[in-house]
Amino acid sequence: MSTVQPSHSEYARRVVVTGLGVVSSLGLGAHEFWDNLLAGQSGISEVELFDTSPYGIHLGGEVKNFPAAAVLSDQEIMRMGRASQMAATAGRMALLDAGVDVARVDPERAGICIGTTTGEQQELDRFNDRHISGKPDRVGRGFLSSYPCSAIAANMATAFQLAHRHVSVISGACASGNFAIGRAYDLIRWGRADLVLAGGTEPFSRVIFGGFVRLGSVAPIKCQPFDRNRKGLIPAEGAAALVLESLQSALERRSRIYAEVCGYGLSCDSHNMMAPHPEGVGAAKAMRLALAHSGIRPEEVSYISAHGTGTPSNDRIETIAMKKVFGANAYRIPVSSIKSMIGHTMGAAAAIEAVACALAVHNNRLPPTINQEEADPECDLDYVPNRARAHVVEVAMNNANGFGGNNASLIFRKCHI
Amino acid sequence: MSMPSRVVVTGAGLVSALGDSPAALYAALCEGRSGVSPLESIPADGLNCSHAAQIRSFDGKRYLDGNLHPLSRFSQMVTASAKLALESSGWTAQLTSAEEVCMSLGTMFGSVYTIAELDRRALTVGPSYVRPVDFANSVLNAAAGQAAIWHNLRGANSTVSTGLTSGLQAIAMGVDMIQHGGARAVLAGGADEVCFQSLYAFDRASLLCACDADGLECPTPFDRRRNGLILGEASALLMLEDGDSAKGRSAAVLGEIRGFASGYEYMGWKDRSKAIGVIARTILSALDAAQISPRDIDAVSASANGSKYLDDVEAWAIAAAFGDEARTLPVTAIASMTGETLGAAGALQTITMLGVIGNGALPGVRGFAHPPDGFPLALVAAEGRPVKADYCLINSVGLDGDCFALVLARPGLD
Repeated sequence: MSTVQPSHSEYARRVVVTGLGVVSSLGLGAHEFWDNLLAGQSGISEVELFDTSPYGIHLGGEVKNFPAAAVLSDQEIMRMGRASQMAATAGRMALLDAGVDVARVDPERAGICIGTTTGEQQELDRFNDRHISGKPDRVGRGFLSSYPCSAIAANMATAFQLAHRHVSVISGACASGNFAIGRAYDLIRWGRADLVLAGGTEPFSRVIFGGFVRLGSVAPIKCQPFDRNRKGLIPAEGAAALVLESLQSALERRSRIYAEVCGYGLSCDSHNMMAPHPEGVGAAKAMRLALAHSGIRPEEVSYISAHGTGTPSNDRIETIAMKKVFGANAYRIPVSSIKSMIGHTMGAAAAIEAVACALAVHNNRLPPTINQEEADPECDLDYVPNRARAHVVEVAMNNANGFGGNNASLIFRKCHI
Repeated sequence: MSMPSRVVVTGAGLVSALGDSPAALYAALCEGRSGVSPLESIPADGLNCSHAAQIRSFDGKRYLDGNLHPLSRFSQMVTASAKLALESSGWTAQLTSAEEVCMSLGTMFGSVYTIAELDRRALTVGPSYVRPVDFANSVLNAAAGQAAIWHNLRGANSTVSTGLTSGLQAIAMGVDMIQHGGARAVLAGGADEVCFQSLYAFDRASLLCACDADGLECPTPFDRRRNGLILGEASALLMLEDGDSAKGRSAAVLGEIRGFASGYEYMGWKDRSKAIGVIARTILSALDAAQISPRDIDAVSASANGSKYLDDVEAWAIAAAFGDEARTLPVTAIASMTGETLGAAGALQTITMLGVIGNGALPGVRGFAHPPDGFPLALVAAEGRPVKADYCLINSVGLDGDCFALVLARPGLD
């Protein structure tokens, strides 16, 4: 334990990550997830939730055999939709991982902030099934408490009995996880909270699957971000939660620290609902704002976790944006997309990728971009093709872009005291 | 929360059942006019309540020039209210090109109607008949994204969903964007539309009012006879600006956001005395953040909407927070006329209190005639009353155990 006398006000406002939880097609819990990422495993499989024959595409990143009962009580499972179950499972694992004794947390100084794009979509799917079959009266009285997005954070607050303030659900489309983590970071550095559980969740649904299929954006066989023959994204589901707390709180609890959150940047393209700005202007701006806010120079970044969906346009434009921000350094900084392995988990994506960034910083290893077969001349950076790599990760940047032109960039670094 | 720099309101825009301007809304509320009417364009089959406060025959073309095809009705409501707020605050197209305006929107249901219709079309006709524009409108942040594209809003764009407190939550996050995020201007507020899915949700939860033949007696917040709420729809946005920036461009200032606080009871509101305690503490925290005491508040906008339980705990929480002052505290509940507008409620309440500050009259609570036994708020009445308001409290009580309170001040006060 360091004998350096801390400057309390400084340590009280620095924000660190002390716990991680993940529900994904590559495992339950941050460490199983991380091991499978490093092994370059794929979590993509045949969709089982609904009949995909009308769509002509049959693969997705479902979390199969999700053992909610291992972490949640029967009563909790009955009350919660799938988004809440996954978020609460990830949250509970994160709190355990951080060694947090909730009874010792001041609920006036704690919060929960979760991102999502459509929330409890499976609850709405069931509503529609009953409505279409002429049995709307079979919709239960619990629909009001289980469907609205606010239910996700509310369910977690009830399950953990953690927070008397700062309980919210926030959305920036597929960048939602970064929005939520950014909000948690702000609450701590502004002195309003000492501990905030932040993350994202998204259940598999026919609306999201069918919507992307209708757009022609779904890869039929595999997700190949940045590859010359990439055909699109693969819809997926999952959840992640990170325990963010003040450095002072973490030191007092003698907690393991994965990484420090240095800052983030948000921007809005104001260009097109579903396509990024063709010159990556908004994405570049979010990265620049994050760097400026964190006091980090572009050349100090060790690793970038890309949004990297695998669509022809996203990956090309994201590469342009990275070159705009990093210049020649863009060719030196490794970039990978774990969507190549777990697919696109929508509102959970940025949060799951944030977990991977925190682990990269902690372990000095980089997850790969798998399914790399042929280089694309327009995507000519180092995407850590196919194999994980040892690499000193002092600073990791987590990028996310979403519908509505929302861009969010979040920066982690090793915590130095 | 300490307030490092002042955040002022320089304009507002809204679409609602009671009109499409702050002046129209305020006039209707002061006249005691109800926005409730029989349901339009929504089948009442299977519903116990056949009324709502809808924006009848809402037409986005009335406000927006150009191709509205990519926008859902909900997105049109938000985009229209954004236009009205920008115009009202003097933010021209030239200014929004030169500066980055942010957006902070609160909504409970977002685009649930669009998502449900998209799914129904896929199931009944086939997935290839799904309209791509509908998919774009299906995410929770779609309306805020559409408004950003339409009006060139290139600052941070955030959508928050915390049920009935979403509107005040979004306004508070807008204040944070300015005070801590370096933003100069933020369109902040909330929106929700009345649709089959939201009506059905409240109806199945037995929270809707049982209307009489023409529905005019519903809802009656705080009244002993109340038996539920009536849903309403609106989109309402305030233009929040950094005080110095607003002064620099000689903008008219309508009011100032002085402080706010959130509260949460994670077991819900099941325990009445705990509920009263949490809501009262949240009100006092907001006053503390504004650096004022209870006796400085001149008027209260309660979120009371006709709910049997929530109106009761809110009334007693206000009494607990204000103590003896509660007997002489003017309190209104605009949901008596706007209906319960969910994500828009907090913003509509704030715009109403800007009107109170500017015009010196507090709207009454329409239909209030029979106070419950021992009702602690003596100045709740059907008739409006004159009020010189320097400081107003806006209160919001949600369904899940969440609450939010915000203090609004007359411009120019120290």
